[in-house]
Amino acid sequence: MKVVVDYDLCEANARCMQACPEIFYVDDDDNLQVKQETFDEALLSKVQEAVRLCPRQALAIGDD
Amino acid sequence: MPLPADIDLTNPDHFDQGPPHEWFTWLRANDPVYWQDEEDGPGFWSITKYQDLKHVSRHPELFSSWRGGTNIFELEEDDLTGVRLLMINMDPPRHAKYRRIVSKGFTPKRISLLEDHVRALARRIVDRIADKGECEFVSEVASQVPMATICEMLGVPEADHQLVYDLSNRLIGFDDPDFQTSMDDGGEAAAEMYAYAEQLGAERSKAPRDDLTSILLSADVDGEKLTQDEFDAFFLLLAIAGNETTRTVTAQGMRLLSEHPDQRRAITDDPSLIGPAVEEILRYAPAVISFRRTAMADVEIRGKQIRNGDKVVMWYPGANRDEEAFDDPQKFDVSRNPNDHHAFGIGEHFCLGASLARLQLRTIFDELLTRLPDIEVDGEVKYLRSNFIDGIKEMRVRFTPETQRRKAAS
Repeated sequence: MKVVVDYDLCEANARCMQACPEIFYVDDDDNLQVKQETFDEALLSKVQEAVRLCPRQALAIGDD
Repeated sequence: MPLPADIDLTNPDHFDQGPPHEWFTWLRANDPVYWQDEEDGPGFWSITKYQDLKHVSRHPELFSSWRGGTNIFELEEDDLTGVRLLMINMDPPRHAKYRRIVSKGFTPKRISLLEDHVRALARRIVDRIADKGECEFVSEVASQVPMATICEMLGVPEADHQLVYDLSNRLIGFDDPDFQTSMDDGGEAAAEMYAYAEQLGAERSKAPRDDLTSILLSADVDGEKLTQDEFDAFFLLLAIAGNETTRTVTAQGMRLLSEHPDQRRAITDDPSLIGPAVEEILRYAPAVISFRRTAMADVEIRGKQIRNGDKVVMWYPGANRDEEAFDDPQKFDVSRNPNDHHAFGIGEHFCLGASLARLQLRTIFDELLTRLPDIEVDGEVKYLRSNFIDGIKEMRVRFTPETQRRKAAS
């Protein structure tokens, strides 16, 4: 599974970082850095939280 | 139990003591995608479920903000053209281009830089009332922080804050006879706001500053500068959105803490609850009652066939008390966690000012409850007559004067 980000929608709210810091990092310049694009079952529920909570709905889960 | 025939969400009279929650509760359970007839309009679908509000919000390609605007009432073609200058009434890709002009200034990080400043404002506002023992909360407290903050961000000088405030009242209060007797007065207020924006813009063109007005002047969309109309509209949107909503939630929060003194006490006992309390106030009394979309295709929601061109209205107070999204949703609970309400919307049009609103709300309630812990409503609450904004026009409060409290404690 992989993380899909719509960078046009992202506005550095960083809810994703709160939900899943293993994957999402918003830097001091308000840029989202995805630390790892692909992930496995162990992180799925955290990534799902991130997807759900993003106020701009900028995230999705895609296939590899 | 009301029959569907009795439900009339079009009439602001039914909102004049706050939103009709009994209707929303009935609708969520019995007819969550409810067809509402209108006396002077084509009728519309009413959305009261949390997941459905999210669905409609997440799909601007299916539910347009542009096609009919975002207010419930139908607009004449000329007026529709006018409101489409405001980015709140745009769809992607155009919407994103406008929003991008200012969005970097509203991120949580950028807004956190205003913390000390907002704290100083809140302190001054409470200083002014602290030894009076009573005051009119809306004009003396609730309106003050957002007015000062958005005006400063816009670069409006302090001497003009009151003018911008009065104009935005007239623009929002179009259904309430205290503010406005007709749509025409709203039109007049808009014209006056535009005139002001242009005058300020002219000053900033000569000498730009680090404010939103200067940013709007230097901005471009697809290589083109904003037209005068686009600039005016953007200024108006920021002024109103920044003023009305935060003031409303501040006043509603004061009312709720007064009606639930146990909840107020929980916060004064444990100030770390301010953050969760603000979220609960937002959930329980969102400033925006409704926003409208127009279907761009035939769409089905919960078995209801929404036709291309149909009006669809999202009811935020309804969705925020959805039994399937919140445990015991009718309970006002300042320690509620999680609290993923939709007071700020979600998706493309998620409130740009959400972080700013949250900062202001946390700060003013912290200041009030720390220094005037027994503050409570004194007398009648005068609500705005509107099915758009859950406003409070006037609300007196009383409290032990600060100096007196300090003397008693020492």
